[in-house]
Amino acid sequence: MRGTLIFAGSSCPALTGKICENLGMAPADAELSQFSNGETSVRILTSVREKDVFVVQSGSPKINDTIMELLIMISACKGGSANKITAVLPYFPYSRQSKKKSHRGAITARMLANLLGVAGVKHVITVDLHASQMQGFFKCPVDNLHAEPLIARWIRQNVPNWREAVVVSKNAGGTKRVTSLADALKLNFGMVTTDKKRGSNMTASMIMNHLDGIERQPLLDTLSNQVRNNSSGPENGVSAADSGQARTSQPVTDSQASPRRANGLPQRTSNNSRSPLARAPVASSQASAIDELDEAEQDGAEYNDQRAHEVTHGRLVQGHIVPDDFPSPAMSAADASMTEEDPMTMSHASSFFAPTPHALGGSGDAESSDDEEPFLKNPKIEHMITLVGDVKNRTVFIVDDMIDKPGSWIAAAETVVKRGYAKKVYCIATHAVFGADCLEQMQACDCIDAIVVTNSYPIREDKARNASKLVILDLSFLLAEAIRRNHYGESISPLFQHILD
Amino acid sequence: MSAEMANEVKLISGRSHPELSDKIAKRLGIEVARTISLNYSNQETSFTVGESVRDEDVFIIQSTATGDVNEGLMELLIIISACRTASARRITAVIPNFPYARQDKKDKSRAPISARLVANMLQTAGANHIVTVDLHASQIQGFFSVPVDNLYAEPSFLRYIRENFNPEDCVIVSPDAGGAKRATSIADHLKTAFALIHKERPRPNVVGRMVLVGSVEDKVAILVDDMADTCGTLVKAAAVLKENGAKSVLALVTHGILSGNAIETLNGSCLSALIVTNTVPLGDKVERCPKLRVIDISPTIAEAIRRTHNGESVSYLFTHAPV
Repeated sequence: MRGTLIFAGSSCPALTGKICENLGMAPADAELSQFSNGETSVRILTSVREKDVFVVQSGSPKINDTIMELLIMISACKGGSANKITAVLPYFPYSRQSKKKSHRGAITARMLANLLGVAGVKHVITVDLHASQMQGFFKCPVDNLHAEPLIARWIRQNVPNWREAVVVSKNAGGTKRVTSLADALKLNFGMVTTDKKRGSNMTASMIMNHLDGIERQPLLDTLSNQVRNNSSGPENGVSAADSGQARTSQPVTDSQASPRRANGLPQRTSNNSRSPLARAPVASSQASAIDELDEAEQDGAEYNDQRAHEVTHGRLVQGHIVPDDFPSPAMSAADASMTEEDPMTMSHASSFFAPTPHALGGSGDAESSDDEEPFLKNPKIEHMITLVGDVKNRTVFIVDDMIDKPGSWIAAAETVVKRGYAKKVYCIATHAVFGADCLEQMQACDCIDAIVVTNSYPIREDKARNASKLVILDLSFLLAEAIRRNHYGESISPLFQHILD
Repeated sequence: MSAEMANEVKLISGRSHPELSDKIAKRLGIEVARTISLNYSNQETSFTVGESVRDEDVFIIQSTATGDVNEGLMELLIIISACRTASARRITAVIPNFPYARQDKKDKSRAPISARLVANMLQTAGANHIVTVDLHASQIQGFFSVPVDNLYAEPSFLRYIRENFNPEDCVIVSPDAGGAKRATSIADHLKTAFALIHKERPRPNVVGRMVLVGSVEDKVAILVDDMADTCGTLVKAAAVLKENGAKSVLALVTHGILSGNAIETLNGSCLSALIVTNTVPLGDKVERCPKLRVIDISPTIAEAIRRTHNGESVSYLFTHAPV
């Protein structure tokens, strides 16, 4: 492209090379190094005067060095009289710090947006921001591209029986991302939530107050219905069978809550008593599902086959699912009796109270997938992990925007396999941050069959080679197309659309 | 007393130089504020102020540790940003050694003026005031649109020389032409002779040929500079001074960055001592290098903080070192 220069930051020369290949040009010359005292040195070796400059920089294990390098490169190009400087950030650093999570915490993502502006950026191209609200941090335009069409296409082309699969969110905060992929593929979705075992002496009004404070998302809406439904019965006298009945008869997602999905699927109406969460796409499996339900109801209270329930609970100790007769660790012993009281109120309500950082966070939409991790590994604490939705004998796609720590992924995978009896588990995320030995642990986990990520974040080659489950999708075409369209002033909207093939 | 005085000093320490922060806090008779600073597994920095800073006068002390400059800088920016969002009345960044100070001009085509970038970043994050020590170039103050107090280590150096040597036996030597002003200023105060070494520098951190201007014969030659990085310049200069008949050679340097093989270079050199201030965390370098001596700069910084907070003049500190 005439008048365009693409510079590669030191974090992602490979990705930049591919982008340039797509555009039929070579990356521009720059010398990036460090002085002996650790200061970053940048030398732009080609004229940038009046050029349209793109600087590509992703994350790296030395994230702060990477950011400084990017800022200095931009500043150098600005000082060299570039016409327009666009930062291409496939992975936006610090995107998880996009709100005040604690009292007096920093909104680092906003600061970084300001720093980019100060350095001289006139436009930002990024992929799957952790919270799309972050676009508002910038004074310049932001193109937040989506990897979802790529992922959806990969699923359609590579997953056998993908039409029978279930898309699962591994935490409440990521539900929106999951529903979007589920909508695109017209699949069912489910959710896994983890929370500390805790006393359940909360009243219905307490729960309602809290739910009222939460931005109404479809799923939450109906969950609150359920809670209301449940608490209208006698306080503690709800038998297992009764509560099972209540759960199944109350649709977890009704048509008003999810209008898009309700439309093209007429067979739902014939199956109204069953939740659409677990609705089966073909008639034969509908029948079997109903049979199963009947069986469970016949067996009544003492037969506690969780497969038949929409809501499945598991016990999580040290980040792993344990059998029900596993000895309880010290800290949960005290409140063990409480856990039996009212499973509905317990699991759902408390997942909205905990973890505490929520309190300041507003909508759960931008919820960090890391928030639950610090206490996941504490051997003293037992967690209740809850699976909402039916995944039995299905392929499960656990979806989030990034994989950093393995804990919640492994816990979710074990839950859907050991509790939900899922057939296969695909862990899908855009950003493969893979902190510490995350990839090794996920590779070693028997419950995970594949890890699907993009190359937005550089993955070390030796790590990738040893991970047979890892599938890396290439983002370079998407980014190259965004660069090309930006340069020529064309619309980038088509890049958000799903390619049906 | 105005309402301005009602608020208190909150001293916040970054992770790069807690020893200096402790000394400053002790000097001011206050505690360093409780903070939580950590790195996520992907090395992103996270920071939380552990106590209220609402309407307080916040001073953030962050030096930049050798090799971890960007880490320290990002942490500082995040701390400033956290205090800004936590409604601090005024935020003063105390940066004893200003990072990227040497990249302060466009000396080649398209060279970045990183020092200006850092200045802009600090202001963008929310700093209202900067306190630093011996800026590499005073012009860097002009990169800021907020006040910058550039403190000098010179009074401390003068006292050190007076206490340890007879000024009449000394010659103050500048290792390069750029530092001549700094060296003449010390020489004038001590009323001693002055010399200068002219050097050719083909590339950064590589030292070329050196020529001595002035006489150092039978004198104690004291090299004065603002920073000692790889120490190549200092060691070569010391050799030149020895060749020219100096009795002994020592160096007084504000910022002991001492990166790369600096310690080995020093140990094998004819410098009898390298005296630095503690603007930069030195770690185990003092143990590894018997020639390294440290002057404590914390009284000067603490006094600057006190005066800034109380709205008093800081000028006194440019000529006097608090005891």
